[in-house]
Amino acid sequence: MKLIKLIFLVAIGISSLSVFAEKEDILIKNATVITSSDQGVLNETDVLIKEGIISSIGKNIDSEEALIINAEGRILTAGLLAPVTNLGLIEIELEAETRDDRTDHFSAGFSISSAFNSSSTLIPYNRTSGITSAIVFPSSGRGEVFSGLGSVFKTHGNIDTHPISTDIAMVMQMGGNSDSRASIFLELEDAFLKAKQFKKSKNMIQRGGFFDSGEYSERDLEALLDLIEERKPLIVKINRASDMLRMIEFSKVHGINIIFHGAKEAWRIADRLAKEKIPVIIDPMDNIPSSFDSIGARIDGASILTESGVNVLIGIADAHNSFLSRQGAGNAVANGMDQYEAMKALTINIAKAFGLADSIGSIEIGKNADLVLWDGDPLEVSTFSDAVIIDGKIMSNMTRSKRLRDRYLKVIGLD
Amino acid sequence: MILSPKYSCLIIAFVLTLFGAISVQSQINERELINYAYESTYKPEESEKIIIVNANILTGNGDSILDASILMQKNKIVAIGKDLDQTDALVIDAEGKWVTPGIIDIHSHMGVYPAPSLRSNSDGNEATSPTTPHVWAEHSVWTQDPQYTLALKGGITTFHVLVGSANLIGGRGVTLKNIRSRTVQGMKFPNAPYTLKMACGENPKRVYGGRKSEPSTRMGNVAGYRNAWIEAQAYQRRLNEYAEKSDEAKEMSYSPSRDLGLETLVGVLEGDILVQMHCYRGEEMAVMLDVAKEFDYKITTFHHAIEAYKVADILAQNSVCAAMWADWWGFKHEAFDMVWENTAIVDQAENKTGCAIVHSDSAVGIQRLNQEAAKALAAGQKAGLGLSKERAIQWITLNPAKALGIDDQVGSIEPGKMADIVIWSDDPFSVYSRAEKVFIDGHLKFNIDDPDSFQRTDFDIGIIDPEGDRL
Repeated sequence: MKLIKLIFLVAIGISSLSVFAEKEDILIKNATVITSSDQGVLNETDVLIKEGIISSIGKNIDSEEALIINAEGRILTAGLLAPVTNLGLIEIELEAETRDDRTDHFSAGFSISSAFNSSSTLIPYNRTSGITSAIVFPSSGRGEVFSGLGSVFKTHGNIDTHPISTDIAMVMQMGGNSDSRASIFLELEDAFLKAKQFKKSKNMIQRGGFFDSGEYSERDLEALLDLIEERKPLIVKINRASDMLRMIEFSKVHGINIIFHGAKEAWRIADRLAKEKIPVIIDPMDNIPSSFDSIGARIDGASILTESGVNVLIGIADAHNSFLSRQGAGNAVANGMDQYEAMKALTINIAKAFGLADSIGSIEIGKNADLVLWDGDPLEVSTFSDAVIIDGKIMSNMTRSKRLRDRYLKVIGLD
Repeated sequence: MILSPKYSCLIIAFVLTLFGAISVQSQINERELINYAYESTYKPEESEKIIIVNANILTGNGDSILDASILMQKNKIVAIGKDLDQTDALVIDAEGKWVTPGIIDIHSHMGVYPAPSLRSNSDGNEATSPTTPHVWAEHSVWTQDPQYTLALKGGITTFHVLVGSANLIGGRGVTLKNIRSRTVQGMKFPNAPYTLKMACGENPKRVYGGRKSEPSTRMGNVAGYRNAWIEAQAYQRRLNEYAEKSDEAKEMSYSPSRDLGLETLVGVLEGDILVQMHCYRGEEMAVMLDVAKEFDYKITTFHHAIEAYKVADILAQNSVCAAMWADWWGFKHEAFDMVWENTAIVDQAENKTGCAIVHSDSAVGIQRLNQEAAKALAAGQKAGLGLSKERAIQWITLNPAKALGIDDQVGSIEPGKMADIVIWSDDPFSVYSRAEKVFIDGHLKFNIDDPDSFQRTDFDIGIIDPEGDRL
C-alpha cells in the first residue's frame, strides 16, 4: 500500500494528493528541514505528522499508516506567517464594497474577527506561495490614530474559518498626518487616561452612573485597557526615528508592549530597539524615502537591525501579494542579512512577537503541522511550493489564477 | 500726410504681404524650433578603452556567450567575443559574474512622481481635462529625485518617464538616461522618439466620471479618443493643404495656427511619436487596435497589460508589445485576472513572435527589474513553455528598447551600440544577484565597492546629517 502511494506520488505529483490525504498521518522523508528553531537546518531528516501535529523529527523514522512524501533534495520549512495583512478583508482595493478593513464607527476597539472571508481568491493564491497563517489587521478606524484589533487566521480556506487567536493586538498610526505628531502623543495620553478612568468607573457605570467616554466607545476603552492589563501588543505604524524614541518612552510610562511597523528609520536606533526588545516589522524592499518621516530608508535596514539583535519580522503591505515577503527576505539576504535569520523573520519571529510560538512558526515537536515543501531555495524568486500542509492536511495547490492560465494557454495554442 | 485711399490700400496690401511672409517665416522657424528646441544636450565625455574579461554574457539579442570579453571605447561597444585584443585597455575581471546590457524600464514615473511624495512635486497627471496631448512629461521632471540613484544601483541605465493615466490622452513621455544633470535636457536620451501616453479603462472614467463629466464609462473613453483623432486628422489636413500651396499662395495666406496638442497627435498619425497605452483588459486592447485602424496610427505598447495573455495572439499579429508586471494584481477590477505566466504567454504567442516587456511603474520595482523578469521566466518555465534566460533578458533590455524606438542605440551588447553595461555579482535571474558595476556610455557610474563611485542627487546631500549623505 505504501509503495503504491509512493509510486502514485511520483506519477502525479504531490499536489493532487489532498483527496486521499484526509485524516491520514504524513511522513515526510529525507527533507532538508529549515526548522526556524534552535535546531537550525537538519539535513536528510524525516518529519512525522500525526493528527495534525508534528510528532517526530529525526532520521529513519518509519510509519506503517502514514502517507509518505519523498522529499529528497528538497527544502521543508514551517508555513510562513503574514504579519499585519489585510488578507481575507480585501478583494479589490478600489471597490469599497469588497473591503472590510476600514470603519468610521469604531477606533481602538474595531475588531475585524467577524469579517474574514475564507473564500477570498487571495487566500489559495497566497497559500500556494507558502503563507499558512495570516495576522489580519484593519487599515483604519475612526479618527487618525487607532485602526483597531487584529486576529489570526489559518489559510486552509474552510468556509467556517474562525480565528486561531482573536483580537490579538491593536494597530495604530503615528506621524505623517496634517495634524502635529505632538497632538497624536497627547491624544494617546488622553486615550489611556480615559481607559484607566473607565476601569475605575465600571462599578459606578453598572449602578447606572454616567461616564463620559468622550470620543471613544466603551468598546474602544476596553481594548485600550487590554493593552495594559493583558499586555497585548500595540503595533505602531511609524517611520521617523525620533517618533520611535518618543513612543518607546510612552510605552514604558504606560507599561505597553509595542511593535514597530514600517519603521524605515529603525536602523538608526537599532541598539535601543534591541535593548528594549521591541520587534520591528519591515518590508526590506521598500527603501524609498517616500515622506519626510522616512528620509533614512535604506536597503540594508533588515541586516543592520538583525546584526544589532533586534527581532525582525518581514511583511509586505500588499495583501494580494503577502507571499512576496519571501522576495523581501531574499533581498534582505542579498544586502547582508543572515539567511537563517531571514527565514526566521518570515516564521518564528512573527509567531514570537504575537505570542503564537507555542503552536506555529517553527518545525518542532508538538507544534501544528503547518509546513511547506519547496522545489528550491524558499527565498529565491524562481522557487515554487511543491506541497503546503496546514494542520497536517495537504492543501490543494489550485488557484483561480492557474485556472485562467490553463484556459488561455489553450486559447492561445500554447498548451 | 494724408494718403489717398488708393495708396493706403496698396500699403495695406504690402503690409499684409509682409505679415504673410513673416507668418510663413515664423511657421518655418517654429517647425524647426520643434525639432531642435528641447533637444537632448547630453554629450558624454569620451570614455577610456575598457575591456571586461571572463564574463558570462547575456547579450540581449537572444544569445549568451560564456567566459568572453566585451571591449568598449569612446562611449561605444567595440567588440564582444573571445580573445579580444586587450592592448592599452583597462581590464575588468568578471570571472564568475554575469554581464547584461543596461536595464531599461519602459514605465517609470521617477522625476514626475518623485520621492518624497509631496503635493508640491506631484507633477505626473494634468488631470484637469481628459485629453491633454499638449503637455510633456519632461517639463515636470525633477532632476534631483533620489529614486534615480536607487534605480542605478539596480542596473537601470535608461528609463521612460510617462505622464500618469488619469487622462485618455495624457501627454508626451520622455526617455531619459540614468545620469545626473542639472537639466532635464541633460538627461534626455539623444535622438529618442517622442512618445504619447494614452490610457484605457478605469482610471479616466473614475477621475472624470467622479466629477460628473465625460468620460464616465468605457464607451465614453472610446468616444473621447475618436473625437480627438478626428480633430487631429482635420488639423493634419490643414497643415498638409498649407504645405502643398505654392510659395506665392503661402504668401497670400496665413499658416494654420499652432496647436500644441494637435501637433502631438499629428506626430502620432505621421508615425513620429510612439503610442504607449495603459490598458489592462484584453477586449479593451482589441478595441484600441480598432481605433488605431480607424485613424491609421500605430500603438507601440500596451502597458500594465494584465490580460495580455488573453489576446496574446492578436497582439503578436499586430506587432504590438505588452509591458507587464510579474505579479501585481487585484488593486482594481481590471487587474483582477492576473496570471504569473502573462509575460511568458505573450512572448511565446504566434510561434514566439510576441513582444513581451517587464516594466515596473514603481520606484521599488525598478530597483529589481531583473527579479521581476526572473519571476515571469520561472512561471513560464514551470508552465512548460520553452523559455530561456537568453530570451527573458530581452524583456528588460532589447524589447523595451524596440518599443521606445532606441534599439539601434541600446538594448543589446553589440558593436556600435552605447556602452551601457551591467556586471552582476551572480546570475541576474537570482534574488541574491546584485548589480556590481554599471556603465553608461562607457563610464562607470556605479561601483558597489566604492561609495564615491556614483553621483548623489542634491536631495541626498546633508538631509539626515549635515555632515553626511543619505546613502
